[in-house]
Amino acid sequence: MTRLTPRFHVAAGIVAAVLLFGLLGPLVFRGHALGAVVGGLYDHPSGSAWLGTDNIGHDVFTNLMYGTRTSLTIGLVAGLFATLIGVVVGTLAGYRGGAVEEALMGVTNVILAIPSIVVLILISIALGTRSTLAMAVVLGVTSWPWTARAVRAQAASVRTREHLDVARLSGAGTFSLICYDVVPYMLSYLCMAFVLQVSSAVLNEAALSMLGLGPSGGVSLGIMLHWALAWESVRTGAWWAFVPPTVLLTLLAFALLMLQSSLDEVFNPRLRRFVRRRRTTVAAPPPAVRKAEAA
Amino acid sequence: MALTADLTAGTAEAEAPARSGLLRYLGRKAAWYLGALLVAVLLNFLLPRLIPGNPVDAIVAGLGRGGVEGSQLHAIHAHYVHEFGLDKPLWQQFLVHLGHLVHGDLGTSFAQSPASVSGLIAQALPWSIALQLPAILIGWLVGNGLGAVAAYRGGWFDRGAFLGSLFTSSMPYYCLAILLLYLLAVAVPVLPPTGGYSFGNSPELSADFVLDALTHYWLPFLSLVLVFVGGQAVGMRSMAVYELGSDYVNYGRGLGLRDRTIVRYIFRNAMLPQVTGLALSIGTLVGGALITEIVFSYPGVGTLLFTAISQNDYPVVAGLTLLIAVAVLVANFCVEIAYGIIDPRIRAASRGER
Amino acid sequence: MSTEGPATDLAPADAAAGQLLTARGLRAAYGPTVAVDDVALTVGTGEVLGIAGESGCGKSTLAAVLSLTARPPLTVLGGDLTVDGQHLDLAGRPPRTWRGGVVSLLPQGAMNALSATARVGDMAVDVVRAHRGRVPRSVALDLLADRLDALDLPRRVIGAYPHQLSGGMRQRVVTVLSTLLDPRLLIADEPTSALDVSTQRALVELLRELVGRGLVGGIVFVTHDLPVLRAVADRIAVMYAGRIVETGPTAALVDDPRHPYTAALLSSVLVPEPQVRRRRIGGIRGAPPDLADPPAGCRFRPRCSLATDACTDDPPAVGDPDRYATCWWTRDHPDERLEPSL
Repeated sequence: MTRLTPRFHVAAGIVAAVLLFGLLGPLVFRGHALGAVVGGLYDHPSGSAWLGTDNIGHDVFTNLMYGTRTSLTIGLVAGLFATLIGVVVGTLAGYRGGAVEEALMGVTNVILAIPSIVVLILISIALGTRSTLAMAVVLGVTSWPWTARAVRAQAASVRTREHLDVARLSGAGTFSLICYDVVPYMLSYLCMAFVLQVSSAVLNEAALSMLGLGPSGGVSLGIMLHWALAWESVRTGAWWAFVPPTVLLTLLAFALLMLQSSLDEVFNPRLRRFVRRRRTTVAAPPPAVRKAEAA
Repeated sequence: MALTADLTAGTAEAEAPARSGLLRYLGRKAAWYLGALLVAVLLNFLLPRLIPGNPVDAIVAGLGRGGVEGSQLHAIHAHYVHEFGLDKPLWQQFLVHLGHLVHGDLGTSFAQSPASVSGLIAQALPWSIALQLPAILIGWLVGNGLGAVAAYRGGWFDRGAFLGSLFTSSMPYYCLAILLLYLLAVAVPVLPPTGGYSFGNSPELSADFVLDALTHYWLPFLSLVLVFVGGQAVGMRSMAVYELGSDYVNYGRGLGLRDRTIVRYIFRNAMLPQVTGLALSIGTLVGGALITEIVFSYPGVGTLLFTAISQNDYPVVAGLTLLIAVAVLVANFCVEIAYGIIDPRIRAASRGER
Repeated sequence: MSTEGPATDLAPADAAAGQLLTARGLRAAYGPTVAVDDVALTVGTGEVLGIAGESGCGKSTLAAVLSLTARPPLTVLGGDLTVDGQHLDLAGRPPRTWRGGVVSLLPQGAMNALSATARVGDMAVDVVRAHRGRVPRSVALDLLADRLDALDLPRRVIGAYPHQLSGGMRQRVVTVLSTLLDPRLLIADEPTSALDVSTQRALVELLRELVGRGLVGGIVFVTHDLPVLRAVADRIAVMYAGRIVETGPTAALVDDPRHPYTAALLSSVLVPEPQVRRRRIGGIRGAPPDLADPPAGCRFRPRCSLATDACTDDPPAVGDPDRYATCWWTRDHPDERLEPSL
């Protein structure tokens, strides 16, 4: 029923490549251990250090692999957290309605109104030392509200569909109703929300790290940039210290956004411009066609 | 909107219920935003106090390592404990904190004592605003124009503009800043790489200084404006494409309306969210380009925050985060009010008509 | 007053004389799917022609073609219109001034037909200015106010946004806007589908009044709702799979259908009248054909219980231009009544 656009394949390909690089890279390229000093301040790229060395003589390529791994871990865990909380709050509010909805959405709107960077900065400072996992949880816990708000709207519209009456009449409990009859109808939407959450978590991690509030004791793409900026690699022309993490972050952010928007096009065909109808029964034809078929 | 007041009888009748609905709508919104503001202040108040040991102990310990004498340390400790009111119960501390806030007193900086936090912020804020306000406005105008033309023209222009905009808007703004800095100030050194003005110059109202500041202005400005253009263009295009397919466009054609009349309808409907976007980004004037400023060592709020974090200067961090939050809250609140007045659909929803 | 069949033997060359609308050879397609295939029809002055048919038969496509509002992915492949003596070849780009001035559209679902951020009065001003140049705002608003008065509708709607009007009122306001410039022909595309029964009646009465006063020359009323059609239409044309299979004056067509599809369609409607109360409601077996690859000959053949081998050839139009059906069975059984249920 769904035809995936070339855009989707390109985006998914880039995301998969970055994932592989972060997960398998350290296992395949074992030239240098993380944290080993292999040269001096900003050594040029060479046969032994493919992307040169950073401000304290660490191999940039090794940092890049582990940094990608950290950034992705934080992105995925935070995305998972945010989506999960968002779905639970949103479905409960949308499905139950009434006072539950008022209360949950009240909390959501208040949190949504406060810029998340403020909360992130404050919590990060209060934490003192920050493990990768703690960073991920903090990022996830601060970014669920917009997912919750969107999911609520979706759940409220699913609630009124007829198949739910049938399920209710057959004696299904609220929990199983939500699990089997509400959530599955929002899966396409959740998929997109998750992708967006991952991308925003990766970028927020980088931003925090560049402010000096990154995961302590580890290396992430943001921390690489933090050191590169703090040690003037840009102004001294040591491009190998800042170009690789910049490119990876950009690539990742762009690919995730493209993935989301091409998923959106598949699920939401009104956005599709150049539709060519091959058969009379396309799952969701554009409006003009839908009108004709309703005649 | 060219709404005329001279419409015949009955207009007032239709408006009457709208007015009381509007008041109720505004009241409810104001309550929510007050709540959010309270939460923000509370967070700002509580979190620095949750740091293991309190900030005063931390700062005094730091001073002690710096070789300050014991009796002096004790006096400094007592001073700060008193200033923060740490010797009182938490709820009293909060009330004192609120009292200070109301008077615009954000405390004293640890690292640059005895400079007041509000004084430091007052120095940095104009730089941030001067950097961002033009970038936001110009980016908004150019971006919306580009998006609208792309949606209307379609074809290759649309695809090219769309992909390009998607790229610059999805690219993290600090990445673009770093790359621009390297390309235009280091690899091909046409623009100065750092600061808001040349070393040795000091802020004053002279032609010399303004010219100097302008040459330093280009790079950070460019890095921000490109991102804005991209984001606005993507938003405008998808809104316009969506509106192009709607029933009223078809009906308008069926009545023989001119293309430009229909385009006016489309843009009036598509503009609404875009205007919101503009107002919302004005709220991020303070905290929207923190890292751009760090990248270019621009003497704004971002650089101040960066230094404060690296020096554990909690009063400055707390003051800045509060300011960032308040700016966003105020902008959002203004948007909601304006929306309630402008968009009849929202007024209707708030009255429960739909 | 006649509707010409696709077959040529019943299409006199001078059929256009005295007609408000004469349409010939209308063909329109979505890519390879020909949704309206060689349709011809006429509407007399002061007449309401109903177009009936089930979902997907091409009747809304026909409405888009007649109202000159076809747009991609729908393309008009050919045909020509003569409205009130003015001729238009549909192969070219239709002139803007025809829309709203000569032929006007009354759309389906008036809910979204008006831009949510424009007042009804603004829309009226734009419509008048689109056709009469830069007339002053007050002139256009006066025109609207007079029309509302004449039709017993409240003037307060002029200053209202669409969401401030009820569904029925919105549909009537759209009707007034569509007919503001006294178009010769009004194409009403399912205008009643979203309304409840009492507002349906009000709209039907409004339309009849517009025709009665000569504010519109005639109406083509497209709907799947046969009871509404019985109330509003003088004559009915039944469409199936992109073609007109039967036409005739409303009473004659309903009482004595001459095409098996018409009979089937009628039998699938609930009729709350005593003599038919006990009749079983029949559906129509099967589904309409794929219009990208329609069956040869009669398109209803695969679903028709009366079909014979002859039906693989194009069926002839049987009857006269005012009352005909395109069916082999009807030609061979001129005196037999079709049982309403198949």
